[in-house]
Amino acid sequence: MKPTKWITALLATAGIALAPVAQAQEDIVIGGSIPMSGVFAFAGIGIHAGIQDYLKIANDAGGVKGRKFKYVFEDTGYKPDVSVAAFKKITGGNKVSLYYGDSTAFSRTINPELERLGTIMMAGASLATEINDPKKYPAQFMAGPDYSEQIGILLRHIAKEKPGAKVAIVYSDSEFGRDPVDEFRASAKKLGLTVATEIQTAPGSVDVSTEIIKLRRADPDYTIFHGYVLAPIPEFVTQMKKSGAKSHFMGTFWTMDSSTVMKLGEAGDGFMGVMPYRYYYDTSAKAPMLDKIRQMRPEYQPTPYLQGFLTTMLFVEAAKRTLEAGKPLDAKNLKAALNSIKNFDTGGLIGVPITIRGNSIPVGRIYKADMKAKTMVPASDWIHLE
Amino acid sequence: MRIGAAKQSYAADEALFDSRTQRVWLGVLAAALLILPFVASQYWLYLTCLVGINIIAATGLNILTGYTGQVSLGQAAFMGVGAYTVAVLDRSLGTPFFINLIAAGGVAMLVGMVVGIPSLRVKGLYLAIATIAASFILHFIFANWKSVTGGTAGLTVKPATLFGLALDSEFRFYWLMLPLTAVMVFGAANLFRTRIGRAFIAIRDRDISAEVLGISLLRYKLLSFAISSFYAGVAGGLWAYFFRSVTPESFPLLMSIFFLAAIIVGGMGTILGGILGAIFMTLVPEALKMVFGWFPNAAEWAVHLAPVRIMVFGTLIVGFLIFEPHGLAEIWRRVRRFFHLWPFRT
Repeated sequence: MKPTKWITALLATAGIALAPVAQAQEDIVIGGSIPMSGVFAFAGIGIHAGIQDYLKIANDAGGVKGRKFKYVFEDTGYKPDVSVAAFKKITGGNKVSLYYGDSTAFSRTINPELERLGTIMMAGASLATEINDPKKYPAQFMAGPDYSEQIGILLRHIAKEKPGAKVAIVYSDSEFGRDPVDEFRASAKKLGLTVATEIQTAPGSVDVSTEIIKLRRADPDYTIFHGYVLAPIPEFVTQMKKSGAKSHFMGTFWTMDSSTVMKLGEAGDGFMGVMPYRYYYDTSAKAPMLDKIRQMRPEYQPTPYLQGFLTTMLFVEAAKRTLEAGKPLDAKNLKAALNSIKNFDTGGLIGVPITIRGNSIPVGRIYKADMKAKTMVPASDWIHLE
Repeated sequence: MRIGAAKQSYAADEALFDSRTQRVWLGVLAAALLILPFVASQYWLYLTCLVGINIIAATGLNILTGYTGQVSLGQAAFMGVGAYTVAVLDRSLGTPFFINLIAAGGVAMLVGMVVGIPSLRVKGLYLAIATIAASFILHFIFANWKSVTGGTAGLTVKPATLFGLALDSEFRFYWLMLPLTAVMVFGAANLFRTRIGRAFIAIRDRDISAEVLGISLLRYKLLSFAISSFYAGVAGGLWAYFFRSVTPESFPLLMSIFFLAAIIVGGMGTILGGILGAIFMTLVPEALKMVFGWFPNAAEWAVHLAPVRIMVFGTLIVGFLIFEPHGLAEIWRRVRRFFHLWPFRT
């Protein structure tokens, strides 16, 4: 054999021998279109911190099969076209396996691209009912119940607390607000509850006096707000309480951050809502992961932080299960690994073990505002929808 | 006055590109645009396609606002009409993309003419409010005419296909966007060499005088709305094929303000202004992201840098309005003038 051939053969052998080592060192990239600015920045900043913290925990523990996680993100300003640009930039420069998206519009827009690529599993801030469809969105999931499931959890709590109660829904005139309205009607009927009224307002509107009159006339036992972060909920709650209405007020996930509910002031005492996770300060049960979070960040962390944290935990778990099965990290394998999660312990972030069958985790708990203690306290056990 | 560019015929006087230098540079630009998809990354191609769509929409608005003087904040809603037209035709009839795009322009044109009717009685801020009202009405229709628009969930669109080839990547879409943008821009430039375009300018400069001169305000104002909306409709149709999902929230009022800002920053009443404005408004936020990314520990400081970046972008726009109210097109003209006279006068 000529010397050149010897060298070639040696290099080839070395290449084959070193290839698995080189692959083992390759980072698992998590991309993120994160709204660090714009109207959703309050959530984006928390989500960003949550992702970073869980990845630190995972990487400090050695990653998965010797592979560390790398987080590459871009600010999107909560604009779908900018989110897509961020996706293109991040996926163009990195071998991305997992991705965090910032909105329903982005989840919907990027879905054909995810299917075309077949290499990325995505989750994100969107809890839209539409995304919770494994056939239509096979490469996506959400780390919590979708909006319809949240309404289902609230109604189930109401039906248990006061059978046959009169319920009302106040929702914003937006895609976000209108999302669970059909489910509200159907679930209320199924649970034997009476729909007192349905009121639509402009998103974030302040002057809602006519809507308040309408709600007062309907006199519901429970009023559910959906499609808002805060305004116009304070106006509704304050005016209704002033008029002597006895309705209980409830919210869904994006309203339920502790600091947001506390902005309701005294009138907000007893305000309830559905939460897929334990609050940062909830010490009512053993939660080692929350203890770890409190160690890492001694100051209060908002609910979007917990959402980002849990999403990343599930990303890491799916990657771990995929690699342990000796399969490549692609959308199909990652999603199959995610759907193999049964009775998974989230370290107390969610109070019950979780199982992910489709694209959501249909579990939540009702929390209630205690304005004197300035905290949200559990008002129900964990409710699991079938 | 350009050195050595004596015009000896009316045709030469009317030519869009009146010098050899201009034609050479245009050729260089065309060659660069043809080479671009082979050298640019997916990210830059995505941005280029987005710029192309925005150029069409901004040029349309420039025809209406910059050349005819009719302030409109309905451009995004007209784009929505075009996008929904493409989505509905694609899903129900499966017609080819070029028919869908023409139909998108046509339907948006009809809607634009209806919305333009108030322009016969009101102008300025009053007309702006009327167009805002129209965009709210259109938004309501998008969200509530469920059987056609799919309600709040909207509609998904299959990629455009050309000779059986799906234009489902930035690279392929680019070859649809580029010629279409070029045709639309050259169409607009040519418009102002015709009686129609000059009538628009006359209306902008003094509508009463224009009417005295025999220009029918009814006809030309509505025509301006129609042409502008046609551009928006085609841009919306392209948008639908590019993003492949159309929802009522895809075309917010903020998007109309984006286009208005683009033509103001670029330079109202010039074709180049619409182009430069669309490029500026689309690319500068991304360029700023890149610049801020060069800061040491940028990822760690992201939370603080994000709002600063937006403030810098806002300041840039304000700076342009103060220091160059005629927009980027005027800066470009000054740069050109410098070279026209160089080396005799700087």
